[in-house]
Amino acid sequence: MSFNGVVVSAGIAFGKALIMTSQTPPLDFKLLSAEQIKQQQQQLTHGIELLIHHLQHCQRHLCQECDNFQLIDADIMLLEDDGLQQQLHQHIEQFKVSAAVAIDRIFNQQAAELASLDDPYLANRSGDILCLSKRLISALHGHLQSDLSTLTDDTILLADDLTPAEFAILPLKHIKGIVLESGGLTSHTAILARAAGIPALLNYPFSKRLVPISDGEQLVLDGMTGELHIAPCEELFAKLKQKHIQELQRRQALTAYKDKPSITIDGHHVTLLANVGNLSEISHATDVGAQGIGLFRTEFLLMNAKALPNEQQQYKLYCDALHSLHGQILSIRTFDIGADKEIPCLEQTHEDNPAMGIRGIRYSLAHPNTFITQVKAILRAANHGPIRLMFPMVSQIEELEGALALIEQAKAQLIEQEKGFGELMLGIVVETPAAVLNLPSMLPLLDFVSIGTNDLTQYTLAADRTNPNLAKQYPALSPAVIQLILMTITYCKQANVNVSLCGELGSDPQVLGLLVGLGLDEISINPTHLLEVKAALVNGRYQDFVKHAHTITTLTRIEDICLAISAVNDN
Amino acid sequence: MYQKTVTISAPHGIHTRPAALLVKEAKTFTCDVMVECNGKQASAKSLFKLQTLGLYQGVSVTVFATGEQAQAAVDKIATLLNTLT
Repeated sequence: MSFNGVVVSAGIAFGKALIMTSQTPPLDFKLLSAEQIKQQQQQLTHGIELLIHHLQHCQRHLCQECDNFQLIDADIMLLEDDGLQQQLHQHIEQFKVSAAVAIDRIFNQQAAELASLDDPYLANRSGDILCLSKRLISALHGHLQSDLSTLTDDTILLADDLTPAEFAILPLKHIKGIVLESGGLTSHTAILARAAGIPALLNYPFSKRLVPISDGEQLVLDGMTGELHIAPCEELFAKLKQKHIQELQRRQALTAYKDKPSITIDGHHVTLLANVGNLSEISHATDVGAQGIGLFRTEFLLMNAKALPNEQQQYKLYCDALHSLHGQILSIRTFDIGADKEIPCLEQTHEDNPAMGIRGIRYSLAHPNTFITQVKAILRAANHGPIRLMFPMVSQIEELEGALALIEQAKAQLIEQEKGFGELMLGIVVETPAAVLNLPSMLPLLDFVSIGTNDLTQYTLAADRTNPNLAKQYPALSPAVIQLILMTITYCKQANVNVSLCGELGSDPQVLGLLVGLGLDEISINPTHLLEVKAALVNGRYQDFVKHAHTITTLTRIEDICLAISAVNDN
Repeated sequence: MYQKTVTISAPHGIHTRPAALLVKEAKTFTCDVMVECNGKQASAKSLFKLQTLGLYQGVSVTVFATGEQAQAAVDKIATLLNTLT
């Protein structure tokens, strides 16, 4: 049986398998017999030894002075602690419970005690204790959770799921590919993998294979076909290496487009910007010749932050971003909090249906202080370079007016505090059908509009973007979404408001002709795909794009649209 | 019994890494070395217990020991508490 996953980012990756399991078996609280108690105590001793041995093994590759080495040392020391071991053994005996229950209770107690310390720095260690507790419980069952920070070999990571926050702290130097059982094409982790240029397969049920994959096995992830080869034979391995080299050469050839003007053969100009989530992606964007940033997803700055960055910290960050852009435009999207993006340092209430809940501008209007702090930092940065500010998830003029009122408040505060600031161009991300339909009322208040196709698709087709079973039948390239894109462009042009597109759709070189033909003069693209898209632009004719787009707007079937797009690209 | 009182100078207090160094040193002595702070006591040889004392910057800590090399042990641990960052 061969599985094919959903490819989110092309390329071929070679590496050793590393399976990340996040779930530990549920705790069993039943009372144990005297014999079982003995057995549990032995298992505890064995588990501790196993984990210590594993940690020492992880240390082998690290220098003694580095932080990681010393932190692992501390973990070992905690495990070796006589007092702790005694306490655990006693707990098992006294309460007749399993080793896992004893560990869970005693470590939790320790974590609670640490968390109650007045010093925030010391109190933060309680998280480390809980993490060690989980690892020790896994070790009881012989599972050793790998400490990714000590990786030294090229690795392909296999996991059930990976949150954007978990992805953000992966050591990307050694992680060459990612395979996930869950996730759709436009889930945020997929977007991050694509932006980092890491081949990734989603919706790939690797744990259901007849022959299971084990840690350390040689894997080749073919991101062109969506296949995962396990311990391939020499012949196949050589073939894949060859394919990999060709792919690298193809990418190399694309660099020739970097300094070419982004103009079609018949002289039609389109501005190509980049989508980014952090400063290193901004430098990637300028490396591939982006003409500015069309989408800076600021919430990614918060994902692993212990606390919300204050105004001064954010101000410095936006200034750094402007600095590396050398006068090019920086389009900042205010924090898009909610949906599948959980931010530990912010207050978020549980929602049954977060994609339709308090997200984007809805969150900002409900938490004006967080919003005003960010806006003040951006206003101050605007003194040093051109900034466009856009609000996510605006559907209705009241929301827009609410956001604009908060901007006025932010300005008033800056004036009072005698801090200088610059002017911003203001826009919204169009990502709900309501936003498209309500554009005529909102356009008089706007300087620009950016179409977010990922959410626009999910909300138009009522198809959860993180659900892998829906990705294929409910694509962005469906008649309804294309009509909404066309309506947005038409409304904006009538009102003389700048319109661009920042969704994943813009990163597909095959779709470039359609988008330009529909009338978009500005597209924001993932930096890893920018040169491919530019090649499609530079080698095409505007006249043909317009005809092609006209044909597609007359089609009513998704499959006909796909056929028309591949037909044009094959020619 | 020999004892000594010092003040923590490390800006982040005695957090995980310095505490681990301290435990390493304490383990080189055969006698028990105790640390008392904020009304709580812990063995200097137990990182698990030491962590819960709350050894912040500016806090006053008493180190005490009895038995073989008690004085040397207390001097050593007190100096570390005072100088580790």
